[in-house]
Amino acid sequence: MQIQEQKQADVMIVTIDDHLDTAAAPGFEQRLLGLIDGGERKVLVDCGPLEYVNSAGLKVFLLAAKKLETIGGQFIICSLAPSVLMIFEMIGFTRIMKILPSREEALREFGTTAPA
Amino acid sequence: MRMHEGSITIHIAADVKEIERLNKLVRQFGELHEVPSRALYAVNLALDELVTNVVLYGFEDPTGKQVAIRIATKEGELIASVLDEGKPFDPLAVKTPDLNAPLEQRELGGLGIHLVRSLMDSVSYSRDADKNVLTVRKRIR
Repeated sequence: MQIQEQKQADVMIVTIDDHLDTAAAPGFEQRLLGLIDGGERKVLVDCGPLEYVNSAGLKVFLLAAKKLETIGGQFIICSLAPSVLMIFEMIGFTRIMKILPSREEALREFGTTAPA
Repeated sequence: MRMHEGSITIHIAADVKEIERLNKLVRQFGELHEVPSRALYAVNLALDELVTNVVLYGFEDPTGKQVAIRIATKEGELIASVLDEGKPFDPLAVKTPDLNAPLEQRELGGLGIHLVRSLMDSVSYSRDADKNVLTVRKRIR
């Protein structure tokens, strides 16, 4: 799995691809929570190129969402493939996390417009 | 389209790095036996969760230990078993996470086994001699 970070206005966009599994989860946790510890308060995880997630990966989303909620930040997940979205629904994350279909909609939700 | 009947037993080292190889072998088996891709995806994820549990928590020291995975297609069902010689452990005894809890009260534990139960039509555990045997079944419609 590769992790890419990109800052757009005050939103930190983290893009992940391929497999977020037990082997990849610790690296993702370290990066994502590290960004929040480093002061990021608006965090968007773009899962467009992500094909597979297991419970180890799901835990990282839960940790980040909890952490940002506690400190008054905003956490959004976007562009989930249907097979990945099914897993988020199954585990009940669609009820407790903001999940949007596209990066554009996510940036609008943060109050940041995408550049033309 | 009907599945072809067959079975395979895969032995892997008790290491999370082996799970990707397991998933590839399961996919190959599934394609060869014409298992519908949705069912194959579900079984692969369930096996990932079950084997991860065994590898991370089943042994005092997983070095040199193995896990066996048996998969069979039979009469409209995909049946998969995970066998290990680790300490007796029934993952089905793990408390189900409260999916209605608000974010701050959602717990990190039990997500994997909840996924397994949700993805499969049946899940059963037995301790057979000195082995844990966890069997999942997925009906193919």
